[in-house]
Amino acid sequence: MWGWWRLGKWTVLVMFLHIIAVLIFTKGFLLTRTELPHSSHCSDLSQSPCHSSSYCWTKPVVDRLIIIVLDALRFDFVAPSSFFEQKQPWMDRLKVLHRMTLVNPSSAKIFKAIADPPTTSLQRLKGLTTGALPTFIDVGNSFGAPAIVEDNFIKQLIQNGKRVVVMGDDTWTQLFPNNFNKSYPYPSFNVKDLNTVDNGCIEHLLPSLHQQDWDVLIAHFLGMDHAGHIYGVDSTPMIEKLEQYNAVLEKVIEEIQNQSGPGKLHENSLLLVMGDHGQTLNGDHGGGSPEEVETSIFAMSFKNLPTLPSEFVSSSCEPSKNICISSIHQLDFAVTVSSLLGVPFPFGSIGRVNPELYALAVGTWKLDDNKTWNNQDELKLEEWLQNYVNVICINSWQVKRYVDVYSASSVIGFSSEDLFHISDLYAKAKENQLNLSFDKNESSNTSLPVLKRQIVAYFEFLSYVAELARSKWTEFDLKLMVTGIGIMLFSIYCHILAIRKLNKSYVVSLPLSRDSGISFGLMLASFTVLMRASSLLSNSYILKEGKVANFLLATTCIVTLRFSFMMNKLLLEAIIFLLLIFICRIAIEIGLYKQAATSQFMSASSSWVLGISLSESMWIYIVEIVSILALIILGYFLYNAISSYCRGIAKCAMMGTILSYLLIALYWISESNILDLPHFLKGMGKTYIPRTIYSIGLGQILLMTFVPLFSKEEASSYKGSLYVKMISILSTCSSTIIILQGKQGAFVALGFLLAGYCMMKLQGIEQHSVGGAAKITILDPLPILQWSLLAVCLFFATGHWCAFDGLRYGAAFIGFDEFVLVPQAILLTIDTFGFSHIFSVFGLPLFVQMEHNSLLSINLFWIFMVYGLITATTATATIVCVAIQRRHLMVWGLFAPKFVFDVVGLILTDLLIFVASIYYF
Amino acid sequence: MKEDLEKSTPSKISSFQVFLIHVCCGLALAVGFWVAHNVYSINLISHPTSTLRLIWAIEFPVVILLFSCFRQKPEKCSYLKAIARGLLGLPVGALLNALGALALGAPAGLQYFERTVSWSLLMSSLTFVPTACVYGSCWTDWHRIFACTKPKGSLDFMLCLPAHGAVIGAWFGAWPMPLDWERPWQDWPICVSYGAMAGYVAGMVGSLGLALMHTGGGKQLKAE
Repeated sequence: MWGWWRLGKWTVLVMFLHIIAVLIFTKGFLLTRTELPHSSHCSDLSQSPCHSSSYCWTKPVVDRLIIIVLDALRFDFVAPSSFFEQKQPWMDRLKVLHRMTLVNPSSAKIFKAIADPPTTSLQRLKGLTTGALPTFIDVGNSFGAPAIVEDNFIKQLIQNGKRVVVMGDDTWTQLFPNNFNKSYPYPSFNVKDLNTVDNGCIEHLLPSLHQQDWDVLIAHFLGMDHAGHIYGVDSTPMIEKLEQYNAVLEKVIEEIQNQSGPGKLHENSLLLVMGDHGQTLNGDHGGGSPEEVETSIFAMSFKNLPTLPSEFVSSSCEPSKNICISSIHQLDFAVTVSSLLGVPFPFGSIGRVNPELYALAVGTWKLDDNKTWNNQDELKLEEWLQNYVNVICINSWQVKRYVDVYSASSVIGFSSEDLFHISDLYAKAKENQLNLSFDKNESSNTSLPVLKRQIVAYFEFLSYVAELARSKWTEFDLKLMVTGIGIMLFSIYCHILAIRKLNKSYVVSLPLSRDSGISFGLMLASFTVLMRASSLLSNSYILKEGKVANFLLATTCIVTLRFSFMMNKLLLEAIIFLLLIFICRIAIEIGLYKQAATSQFMSASSSWVLGISLSESMWIYIVEIVSILALIILGYFLYNAISSYCRGIAKCAMMGTILSYLLIALYWISESNILDLPHFLKGMGKTYIPRTIYSIGLGQILLMTFVPLFSKEEASSYKGSLYVKMISILSTCSSTIIILQGKQGAFVALGFLLAGYCMMKLQGIEQHSVGGAAKITILDPLPILQWSLLAVCLFFATGHWCAFDGLRYGAAFIGFDEFVLVPQAILLTIDTFGFSHIFSVFGLPLFVQMEHNSLLSINLFWIFMVYGLITATTATATIVCVAIQRRHLMVWGLFAPKFVFDVVGLILTDLLIFVASIYYF
Repeated sequence: MKEDLEKSTPSKISSFQVFLIHVCCGLALAVGFWVAHNVYSINLISHPTSTLRLIWAIEFPVVILLFSCFRQKPEKCSYLKAIARGLLGLPVGALLNALGALALGAPAGLQYFERTVSWSLLMSSLTFVPTACVYGSCWTDWHRIFACTKPKGSLDFMLCLPAHGAVIGAWFGAWPMPLDWERPWQDWPICVSYGAMAGYVAGMVGSLGLALMHTGGGKQLKAE
């Protein structure tokens, strides 16, 4: 142990420095908006300058509100296909909504609702109910689903005696525990289950419509989100879901219409059908691309209503038909709904009451029951505007109050300049309001334009605040960020110091060697690392990071090839290596293509399209057979390794791996349609084979950890025993990684193996020229750099990318049907970082050159440190670049996810290096 | 001393000749651009394939005719044979350049095929063909110039430096490609070609400078 500490203390030191630096930087960078504990009360209104009435805040204009949330409702699910260039199979499926808007354009309306990223369900529900902006760090809480502490409209409803019924997605009950009069929650996390939540919703929705014991009903359908995650948008399950919803909505509307007569249950009801966020064609969501943030709200009341003057209508109409679509920010939802129901607006809301949605409520118009109204009826309109001005006045006052309280209580509020501008705008609007009250008493004829002007003044104020908040609530604490960067740089300095120390002790222990100072390999390696580091400054290079890494890897490889030409040896290895890089490059481009389909920043340019449609069954068969073949080759190599080198415990462990490989092959066969297995067998295979493989892996790790403690094995050479250790741990990891990665896993493992072999052979090749036939004496960072670049390339080649929609959530459900947080988080981590971090760190002893024991451990640590340094340099570059680009347009879409991935990768690498150094020592 | 020098420089070439050749090669590139612009009114950005082909069509004969004059062992190898060597070297060099570019990430789709071919032909004329004309298939000379980078004398410099310059220039020229500026010149292989030609010219300047120094050094040696 002491021996380990002598060398290993550096890894520990560096790891701690990294963790501290990352924590400090993250605290400064991913700031949360301070959540204020205040909430609005009925009595607060007396402080406002607005016309107060006998109501709580605003006059309740809707008696009952039915909110049907369809999770991941894309805008084009709802909008008629004539709004789009091309009609896609998933469009025009919710026909009932179109029919209603066509029949009754003034009382039913489709809105394009624009959400604020991150577009995860939990974040959106928070945003919808609080009317506030989320911040980036909240995404991480998405799994934990904490209750909302901020003031929100559900809380207001409860406080003001409204009865709320909720059904469907159980996120609602997690967000608002014990708030609902009745709830019918269903588990939401099992992505593969398309129907439980929806069937539960349908079961309770229609009967509830007849009941009198609620004022607000929320039904959250989840099937569409799940169908998107599993099958994508263009799939039959998705279309079936849409048709199912169409039928349900038809029934609901019919039911409400039947009850909408005078004196009946739904005389004054409003129906809202809305999405919480959109989804990409792959069914992913979370980011800020138009497809993800654009969702829809369909609002319908059940009476004929007048239309608003065109100044307040933001709709775009299609030319042929009569359907117009307005747009609304999701931010405005909470406050609009609150004003409709007459409850105080949530304290932290910065939205505005949307006039079009507000006008859809029957109660806002003073309608005589039997009289048909006239569109040109100025008086009616004026009354409406009068009321609306009052509502928007309260709205503005509430927003102003929030801004004031926020900047008073938060350490980092708005800048005084912005605050001044806000106050200025508000004062102007208020001044108008005072004039208005005079006007109202004297003459009512002139007030229509005055009212309009007034509303515009308030709009100006509200939109300015919303814009400002959007830009400011991604605020950064520069001091913390700079401190974090400073510690990071210090850690790099320590790293370099440690490496130099190791170098020195290495040189001292070798009697014949000379320290030649800067070798060509070192120069090339530093140059490459610097190129890669500086490339992270640009969003374009981050987007195409895989290609950049591949470019650099290919460059170093070409240099190696040149050296091998120079020495006239190992040509074959160099050429195979280059070939592997070429294959890797194609895989990266396929990955990029996948990414482009979902990414907001990339256009799907298909430079590599080969004209083969992979859906053809023959290709599927070929892929299946070849992947199993690759697995067999892997197993064969392993078997060879076992029979020639290993005995005892290692042999035992590796037999387990071969068994795992057999099971994986079995799993793939059972998954595919090559053999028609009975259904129950398939089901068994789906859950039990992966679990068996996981447990075999775990057992192997335990075996390898504990058995060496009791029995010392005699090895022929230190290097030999090191290799045996390496092969056994790699093979142990490989089975789990391969099954998680799917069919590509076997190829990638094989490629990794081959590339590792080539690199090991090729290492130090340029020093052959320097040292002649003498033994290699100088430690060469070039192969380690290549290894680390290869790891980066494989991260991208296996279909990952640095974004949250790049995580392959499907992998977490291999072997599990239910959502259990801990094992699935572990599986997702293994899938994401399997090849690029776990495999590559444990494979590092490949580059050990020394046979002698003491030198060998120095050499090993040197390799670990260099690898760590390369990772740390890249991560530091990412951190610095993120700090520089913090005002960049894509900071949340691109830089922040990249930062999170890099930082997690860095800490993981440190941890793995720590573990590996103990294991190998 | 004099004999030594003669031995080490395989075929004598004066710095004026070096200057002449480089000027001719550089001029050929310039003429290529000029013809493309003024005669056919195309440029690299609007018509990359045809422009590259045009430049190549002007550059390649100049290169092959000039460098064949400096073939090794002129007594054994006729001028025509040297030209034939250059012609043979052209596809080989083009293939190697194309493969290198593909490994580094050049687009591999069929719609880029013509561009890649034109680009690699031009690259081959800049890098490969001169050496093929001068040294033919002599492995040791190739090895010395391209693998070990140990050129001896002005002729070697003249072959080695511009070729390396072109490759390194092309490598740097590839860097703007992924940027999202959405300029037409970011398309493959436009900026790479610009980079390659800039590197080539820089290499020629370097080679000229070295040739001058070399002869200067030689004279000094003689004076001693």
